[in-house]
Amino acid sequence: MKRFNKYAIYEVMAPLVGFAASMALLMLIVVIVGENPGNAVDAIWKMTFATSTRTATVLSTSVPLFLAGLAVAFAFRANIFNIGVEGQYFIGGLVGAMAGIYVPLPAFLHIPFVVIAAMIGGALWAAIPAALKVSRGIHEVITTIMFNNIALALVNYLVNGPMSGLGATGSLEPQTRHILPTALFGNIDWMFRAVGWNVPDSVYLDYSLPVAVLVGLLVWFILFRLRIGFDVRAVGTSTDVSLYAGIKVAKVQLGAFLFSGALAGLVGLQEIFAVRGYYTFQIASGLGFDGIAIALIGRNSPVGVAFAALLFAFLRQAGYGLQFFTKVPNSVISVITGLMILIIVVSNELVSRYIKALRKKEAM
Amino acid sequence: MPTNAAAAAPSAVGGGASGSILLRMEGITKAFPGVVANDKISLDLREGEILALVGENGAGKSTLMKILYGLYRPDSGEILIRDRKTRIAGPRDAITQGIGMVHQHFMLIPPFTVLENIMLGSESSRLGVLSYAKPKAAAARLIELNNLHIDLNTSVERLPVGLQQQVEILKILYRGAEILIFDEPTAVLTPQESDELFKTFRQMRAQGKGIIFISHKLDEVLDIADRITVIRRGRVIRTLDRAEATKPLIAELMVGKPVILNVDNPRRSAGETVLEVDKLGFVNAEGVETLRDVSFRVRAGEIYGIAGVEGNGQSELIRAIAYRTRISGGSVRLLGSDLSGLDVRSRRELGLAHIPEDRHKFGLLLSFSLADNFILGSHYKKPFVSGLKTQVRKQIAENAKRLIAQFDVRTPSEQTPAHALSGGNQQKVIIAREMSQKPRLLLANQPTRGVDVGATEFIYKQLVEAKKNGAAVLLVSADLDEVMSLSDRIGVMFKGSIIKEFERESATKEEVGFYMMGEKAR
Repeated sequence: MKRFNKYAIYEVMAPLVGFAASMALLMLIVVIVGENPGNAVDAIWKMTFATSTRTATVLSTSVPLFLAGLAVAFAFRANIFNIGVEGQYFIGGLVGAMAGIYVPLPAFLHIPFVVIAAMIGGALWAAIPAALKVSRGIHEVITTIMFNNIALALVNYLVNGPMSGLGATGSLEPQTRHILPTALFGNIDWMFRAVGWNVPDSVYLDYSLPVAVLVGLLVWFILFRLRIGFDVRAVGTSTDVSLYAGIKVAKVQLGAFLFSGALAGLVGLQEIFAVRGYYTFQIASGLGFDGIAIALIGRNSPVGVAFAALLFAFLRQAGYGLQFFTKVPNSVISVITGLMILIIVVSNELVSRYIKALRKKEAM
Repeated sequence: MPTNAAAAAPSAVGGGASGSILLRMEGITKAFPGVVANDKISLDLREGEILALVGENGAGKSTLMKILYGLYRPDSGEILIRDRKTRIAGPRDAITQGIGMVHQHFMLIPPFTVLENIMLGSESSRLGVLSYAKPKAAAARLIELNNLHIDLNTSVERLPVGLQQQVEILKILYRGAEILIFDEPTAVLTPQESDELFKTFRQMRAQGKGIIFISHKLDEVLDIADRITVIRRGRVIRTLDRAEATKPLIAELMVGKPVILNVDNPRRSAGETVLEVDKLGFVNAEGVETLRDVSFRVRAGEIYGIAGVEGNGQSELIRAIAYRTRISGGSVRLLGSDLSGLDVRSRRELGLAHIPEDRHKFGLLLSFSLADNFILGSHYKKPFVSGLKTQVRKQIAENAKRLIAQFDVRTPSEQTPAHALSGGNQQKVIIAREMSQKPRLLLANQPTRGVDVGATEFIYKQLVEAKKNGAAVLLVSADLDEVMSLSDRIGVMFKGSIIKEFERESATKEEVGFYMMGEKAR
């Protein structure tokens, strides 16, 4: 049992070392730019953890990143490279928004309803690439990239055309009608107060956070406690071995792909239902690609993805901090993020090789 | 210190039985994280000598040869070629220093002709135009000198494996190799092809070349080698002269304890027909007919062995029985049920178990724990899942502990990932899993490939055990000795057909070998 802990410690150390190394690099760049490192640290601190408002911002920024990472990670577990999370959350958000605009329901039903609608929307958008993959062997990287573009064009058309809310909302921006108030994700301060944490009013966290937590737990349970999760992981590890063991590889991959799409469908919920209150094709893009990096750093495990998402959210806020308070440009953060991904992935790999060798030695 | 050793070397030898010392490896040590693959290994090779390197899998032979070929750099120790200390920076450097290697997997470009493959990497050209004439003449001379039988203008993809190997040999001779390394050269050859290879070995020996060859087949080692170096756990245990070497002695030195290679395998009266293959045909996606009119039966309580040179349809046959749903003609029946419409799970439920050819590719989820690997294939059934389809971890762990004890799997715990185990122990995990399903039909495809002598014996016993328990066993192996000693009946496959069946009593190695070559076909 003791040895298990030792391996676990190594595995946790790798990303920490990567993080520390990239922060050191950041400070080096800060010095080169001619800024005082003390100022930079102070700027980052002010924008991330100085007040509970800032901490809540980091937390809420991490929510869509977490969901995107989870969607990519689940597909990775079944050896599927879902680059289509991007398109799937545009469509998932659209279907969720339709459920929020056109279907009147009482509040306690409406929120779960739009969540499920968004998941179905994401899964539907994944369905064609998934079917093409398992039936005809067409690689999902190609199809999902193309489906991302199709999704964008489709929502652009719908928001400007049949679903346009121009006139109804009084806004000149292309957008849909307003989502019914029953479907909006409100403030969840009451949840924190219920557990005795009196958060200040300025902190704003919405229902997408508990949704993300629940979904994270669900994914963990599926992967590591259910028989179907065993199938998914087996197929992801080796389709050949799985085939020989009588696992229906095509069916498992189809299911995993659809579920990945369903998870992707949730990515846009926060922005649509808590921030904007309507749907537009101008919702934040690129989260699907962040999701790939997050899944990579989080090693496709729900816990790892959660930490990686928090890390990305932290970096994003840190970038704003540098921008506001120092003369270090925000884009430095993109460079540092890239370097950090590289360092963490490499150190993860080195550590897993080292553990592999240790285990081999132990078994000999 | 090293310089002293280098200076002392010439006077220490010189008057050997054969020629002068070609190669000397001194105190070679190479550690990988957690494992010492080579521990102060020393060996030498003379001109005109064949040195056999034997040892169990993972003993460190391949690592040592990779060091010699420049693929790995040793942590310590030195290499002397003709008494001159040298460093080998990489394969290219090894070649210029006169070292050539024939790998287990050939490094040839299939659509290129033999000549083009030989020229590859050392093309001569004038003003950018390739010149063929000179290399052709040189290659033709080498072919004549070394008992090779290849046409330089044929494309390599059309050649059988034995001849492709000759191309590899020609390739390194063309580059002027003095020291030739062969990594299990006979693993893919028929007995007749092996004989040809050994003729070539003798020719090269007569020209004063030094040959190092790695082999698991003790018969051929005794047949061809001048000296035999036994390696165990990264160390040289002993180097034997041919005169003092015997099969039991080598086997004992390899594993550290005497092993019985003969398995008690009584002939049983066979029972009902379990597997019935009738006029089975298969045309692959490229339109090549890989199986043609294959018909045979395997009955309960017998081992049916398929002999044949690899690539004559054995793998296709196993696939048709194990999982393939599309066949081009005929039928495969397991206990009376036609398999063509059934998926793998249904076949397994009928009583099919399978020890696949490549355990890493098809048999084990290497990153999964042993416990998880043990339930693979029955993981969807009770007692491993509850009514709610959640996994029952306690049952999974207990099952693993039971199988580990019963099949003597050497592992720190049942939670250890499969990749940590040695090849033999990994194979035991697969066999334990498949045997624990109480199979009616056991497919064993190359069950002892790449496992050591100790594990081989264990696997033989398990196959015989399966048969005693009334299972029908279909054994496919490239090792003719294995097929001959285990099977009750033997079918010889050649070009996608079973061209001859033998009863165990009436089969001789030579005759089976002839059929394997297709000499007596039709």
